[in-house]
Amino acid sequence: MSLSKKQVSDIADYARIALTDEELDEMTAYMNDAVDNVLAPIRGLDLTGVEPVFHPIGDLSNVMREDEPVPGLSLEDALRNAGDRDGRSFRVPSILGNGGDR
Amino acid sequence: MPTSYDSLGAGQIARLVRDGEVSAREVAQAALDAVSARDGDVHAFLQVTPELALAAADRVDAARAAGEQLAPLAGVPVAFKDNMHLVGTRTTCGSRMLEGYESVFTATCVQRMLDAGCLPLGKLNMDEFAFGSSTESSYFGKTCNPHDLGRVPGGSSGGSAAAVAAGMLPLTLGSDTGGSIRQPASFCGVVGLKPTYGMVSRYGVVAFGSSLDQVGPFGRTVDDVALAMNALAGRDPRDCTSQRWDVDFCEHLHDGVEGMRIGIVDAMNHAQGVDPEVESAIDAAAQALCAAGAQVVDVELPHAPEAISAYYVLAPCEAFSNLARFDGVRYGYRYEGARDLSEMTSMSRAIGFGPEVKRRIMLGAYLLSSGVYDKYYYPAQQVRALITQDYRDAFERCDAILMPASPRTAFAFGEMSNPTQMYLSDMFTISINIAGNAGVTVPVGVGADSGLPVGAQLVGPAFADDRLLRVAATLQDAYGAAPVARAFSGKGGELR
Repeated sequence: MSLSKKQVSDIADYARIALTDEELDEMTAYMNDAVDNVLAPIRGLDLTGVEPVFHPIGDLSNVMREDEPVPGLSLEDALRNAGDRDGRSFRVPSILGNGGDR
Repeated sequence: MPTSYDSLGAGQIARLVRDGEVSAREVAQAALDAVSARDGDVHAFLQVTPELALAAADRVDAARAAGEQLAPLAGVPVAFKDNMHLVGTRTTCGSRMLEGYESVFTATCVQRMLDAGCLPLGKLNMDEFAFGSSTESSYFGKTCNPHDLGRVPGGSSGGSAAAVAAGMLPLTLGSDTGGSIRQPASFCGVVGLKPTYGMVSRYGVVAFGSSLDQVGPFGRTVDDVALAMNALAGRDPRDCTSQRWDVDFCEHLHDGVEGMRIGIVDAMNHAQGVDPEVESAIDAAAQALCAAGAQVVDVELPHAPEAISAYYVLAPCEAFSNLARFDGVRYGYRYEGARDLSEMTSMSRAIGFGPEVKRRIMLGAYLLSSGVYDKYYYPAQQVRALITQDYRDAFERCDAILMPASPRTAFAFGEMSNPTQMYLSDMFTISINIAGNAGVTVPVGVGADSGLPVGAQLVGPAFADDRLLRVAATLQDAYGAAPVARAFSGKGGELR
């Protein structure tokens, strides 16, 4: 199994991490190393008929609390760590691109 | 006559405060003195909070003056791994991404320590977002092992282990996703417990691998760890994985191991890659438990060798999902000057995250992609079923399993330069997170060759953590409480 630099670049786009050309080379080497040397043993097992376990507490059920209002985060606290804000809102650059108005 | 603050455990400090021998304010001041005298060399702290500690101490002293009954840990200094929120502090996760992030709420585990009367001294260094086994990946610099400043303290909760080993605090909290409490406890020669998954609430702890993460305490004695667990354990409506628990961890702590069966997995304890000095230290620990009346039995964990593969599938996948929230919008580093939202997010993550965080996210993104999921993620969850069953079978035959916490003692800075080499060093801790059991590291002396601390790991069945600590307390009886690292013992911090 070998991942190409192009595949790794596509994964980086999907994961929203900008990587330089040099970083892409390093990341490609790392991912192939991890897949070949750390993850590979899992593919050598015969797992026919084994039911997967997705969680350490298997019989966990979702418990809903009573629908009563409780105090939440204040607007000021919610916005306190924002990179940029506009009154009561988070402010971000243009979503559709072209560098237009925010 | 003055007493060195670092000679006292949490239980002793609480008793002195309760009896009026010392005030909580004097304890807080001694702890702050110890931190300022020692942390320049160790760098366990990312933030020291004298104002919070002194205010909490004054509340304890006022309560005592008013004749109120004090909480069980009243006046005991504590500090928290920097992935735990506490209002009035920054919570950085050791990352540039969260540099300057101000907590707007308090984690349940932190709140419970405060409710038990603890004095919050600050926040402790860690591998960035808890990805690592050495604390070298923190954006804010490395933490040094108090037993040898040229070596790593382990990780990811390296600051939490080092602060206790250097005698700055009797108790700290860490988190453990694949060994991040037990391995640094081993490297720093202190006690560290990863409780059963579901024992302690994770609300307010920045998530790494949600099906693996668990919060637990570090201390220099099993007794102090048990006291901390009395405060920490139990149901929290804000974490649906947390379970009800009302057993006193201290009540039967010193009842001994007479009649208990201690399991040994020969193939693991003597596996390739385990240092001979670690092998012989663990063999000696088994002898010590035998001498105390336990019976040693051979058990098997046939799928343990596949645990690392399963973990490095599951943990990156969960991390990829959990770290998607860091997009530069609501909190975290924001790249200025982007033309659009997409560029802002990609550049914020490129600059805000360090190399190991990017590696884990990338691996997770790949493993969850279409066509790859069936090859790795689904089989990893099947392996999780096999490993869980292995432990169930083993615990039919024994009460606890004894193994190393790490195949070797603390390594030098830079020694593990290849990330995948570092991953393979987690061989003894990872399967416990996958199965959700409890594991505790207890110091069992120093390695014959290195002279550095060796930790024995005891693994117990789920939700029998109190019995597990009983075995740990028996080992402690044989080896003594963890000593403060020699270079720091008695340095700064006196109680009169």
